[in-house]
Amino acid sequence: MPDLEQQLSALAPAIEWPATPSHSWGGVQRRRSEGPRRWSIAPRLIQNRWALAAAAVLLIVATLLAYTPSREAIAGWLNLHTTILRTQNQPTPSPRPSGPLGERLGLGSPTTLKQAQGQVKWTIRVPSSLGPPDEVYLKLPPTGPTGGEVTLVYAQRPDIRASGLTGVSVLVTEARGRTNEIYFQKMLGGDATIEPVTVNGHSGYWIAGRPHNFAFTDADGNVYFDTLRLATNTLIFDDSGTIVRIEGDVTKSQALEIASSLS
Amino acid sequence: MEGRPKDDSVLIARAQRGDTAAYEEIVQRYQQIAFRTAYVITGSSADAEDAAQEGFVKAYRALDRFRLGADLRPWLLRIVANEARNRVRSSGRRHQLELRLTEGFRPGDAAPSPEAVAVAADERRRLLAMVNALSHEDRLVIASRYFLELSGEETAAALGIAEGTVKSRLSRALARLKARVEEAAHA
Repeated sequence: MPDLEQQLSALAPAIEWPATPSHSWGGVQRRRSEGPRRWSIAPRLIQNRWALAAAAVLLIVATLLAYTPSREAIAGWLNLHTTILRTQNQPTPSPRPSGPLGERLGLGSPTTLKQAQGQVKWTIRVPSSLGPPDEVYLKLPPTGPTGGEVTLVYAQRPDIRASGLTGVSVLVTEARGRTNEIYFQKMLGGDATIEPVTVNGHSGYWIAGRPHNFAFTDADGNVYFDTLRLATNTLIFDDSGTIVRIEGDVTKSQALEIASSLS
Repeated sequence: MEGRPKDDSVLIARAQRGDTAAYEEIVQRYQQIAFRTAYVITGSSADAEDAAQEGFVKAYRALDRFRLGADLRPWLLRIVANEARNRVRSSGRRHQLELRLTEGFRPGDAAPSPEAVAVAADERRRLLAMVNALSHEDRLVIASRYFLELSGEETAAALGIAEGTVKSRLSRALARLKARVEEAAHA
């Protein structure tokens, strides 16, 4: 057996699998008799939330030990009920070959600001410094988070380089999450850096590098995983319960200027 | 790999006659591999739990169609894996699978120095991190074969592909992993 395969096989006994739920067949039958697939939803969610909370604490500690950011930064994350993870680089998202900008990026259905506003419960914020968005997309459940997700797409803008793959220079994405229960996870590549920032009085993070994935708790308390489409510098902040992220090949000051012009 | 006593067919025959105790024994025998297979596909223990449960229920309903003498485990895994894939498809999102290593794991075939243990543990972590960073398709076939230790037939069942396709897909996945390992070694 080649060396690599031997190494992989040797990993098998060291893999930490989640505990296998112990369900007797009789138990499954009894639960099913109570209704279709509803038997253990509530306890499972409660269990998951505790598991998520425990995992979040462990990850914060691990991040402290591994990367020694300031304890003030960690405290800030906790105040935002936020955790940030570093992992290996994930594969760069592959844009589709043709079609409107947003469709290529899988942002949901094309719409207008007015129509999108009619579908979501928060007031959609638009950065005046970029002018009107070139496209607007709305992603609703089941593919989007509970409450929906709105993305404003900007093509070439002065002083901001557009992606050679998609023609997009900036994406502004907004989704609702519960501020007192936000579990936000950001997966960064090894070359990415995190810096706590303040945006219009709200706590946020400036992430420079090539981040790819993140997750947050949506309005129903479900953890929603998504992809940072441009995999480039990203500003993320919690605007009174709305998670706003600004992606683009922008500097920190450019991103903060865009964020400050949201109205 | 889980043991597969020779009396699966006896249990199936009893279960087909309505003996729920026999089916319960089948569930208990295979629930771990079913759950872990679903976990690798969904990346979520909650979804994996649901998929495994629903899979066992559907398998019970389909027992009459199970051919006596056939291997039970790939048949069960195919049903559970289908449930897991359906769950991912219907939710429109897949959780990012992040396999981890058990803290303090030490192979039992040697008494290496603490330094050697640390180095070996670090190498294992690096390799697993590279597997985690592969595409979903590559990660799935490698995890199925090497971490779940499924046979070729079982991997085909879990992935919903032909057994011959498993070999080619695994070969490509290993080549990509090897390239990453070599790239890291020369970095």
